[in-house]
Amino acid sequence: MPPQILRLVLLTVAIVGSYLVARYFLTPSSFGEYGWYRANALGELSSYKRVYAGAKACDECHDEQYQQVAKDGHKTLSCEACHGPGQAHADNPDINKMTILTYSHCVRCHEANPSRPKWHKQINTKTHYTGQKCTECHVPHQPAEVP
Amino acid sequence: MRQRVTRRHVFGRIGVAIAGLLTTAAARSVKAAVQKVFVSASAPKDYDATRHKWLMCIDINRCIGCGLCAEACKKENHVPEGPCFRTWIERYIIPKPKPGSGQTRGEALVDSPNGGMHGFPESPVAKEEIEQSFFVPKLCNLCHHSPCTQVCPVGATFDAPDGAVLIDPKYCIGCGFCIQACPYGCRFLNPLTKTAEKCTLCYHRITRGLKPACVEVCPTQARIFGDLKNPAQDDPLRKFYETNRVQVLKPHLGTEPRVLYAGMDKEVR
Repeated sequence: MPPQILRLVLLTVAIVGSYLVARYFLTPSSFGEYGWYRANALGELSSYKRVYAGAKACDECHDEQYQQVAKDGHKTLSCEACHGPGQAHADNPDINKMTILTYSHCVRCHEANPSRPKWHKQINTKTHYTGQKCTECHVPHQPAEVP
Repeated sequence: MRQRVTRRHVFGRIGVAIAGLLTTAAARSVKAAVQKVFVSASAPKDYDATRHKWLMCIDINRCIGCGLCAEACKKENHVPEGPCFRTWIERYIIPKPKPGSGQTRGEALVDSPNGGMHGFPESPVAKEEIEQSFFVPKLCNLCHHSPCTQVCPVGATFDAPDGAVLIDPKYCIGCGFCIQACPYGCRFLNPLTKTAEKCTLCYHRITRGLKPACVEVCPTQARIFGDLKNPAQDDPLRKFYETNRVQVLKPHLGTEPRVLYAGMDKEVR
């Protein structure tokens, strides 16, 4: 073989070889398992810690209130919709407390607004009752009841 | 005088280089094995991404614009303060047409102050002047043909087999191509991590059988979340399909979103 061809062959082998070596070392182990990405990312993304526990976790201890809410007008509400994120409370109920409802929680949804759908019960906070103590007349867990 | 480079010398160097490569390879496989143990310990073992197909339906007639979903999303996913939202609510106000203009309705006003997280200020249009007004929750549209994943130069964003469009935060270089490519404006650059971020459908929740945080806290069940491959008997998704006509955002783009809207007006984009 003429020396110039030999050199060319060696050079080609070196270039292709270094590419293959680099590819071997730089490609993540799970790349291409599902597609053009790192399949391990799925596991990593699903391993994050949650902040909201889900209503089932509330039911484990507070089943009485859970069933109470399920009977009445607020049955579509999850506990954490009003009481805030609860995973910390579920892990450590003595240290982390849930939010106790105030006036602002009620009016967040029930303040009259022309953009809100008509089926939704709304009040004008300037005329309805200015005392800001909704629980005097309404029971949040059972809105149809009178205290 | 410079030392002469002998053949022995060169072969010795090559040997050292090969040994070094082999050690790094061994170290890499050890690292991968450790990572696998670590990841499988924290990730749910019984979740197979190929056996699910997630879908979100939104009933605009049920949204009351309370902003709980946007707030819960921020808390659940530790989204930084400021104008970064994985989900948000838009308010549409369509005024009555000007008398004698010959139009059926006025020009729509759209606003979303702080993503609707803390409610909406009073309507800029007087109540009597409003023809129609409603709230539209927005999130990643889970496109079947997602423009955002096509433009990623490093393979950091992808369509997972279960239908979620996800970002690999370790591989994202923060170039922002995907943010420009998304026709729905659902992506943003996280100012803290400098990587692109978007709705993951709360991937850490759905893989454990929980609902996404926004669906969990929605007080009116305006958001309905379900699995197309495993429809339960009393699935809310099934009931929703039976009773509603659905539409997707920007259907002309051919992205085939898997976020379906019921009761949507033509002004919504």
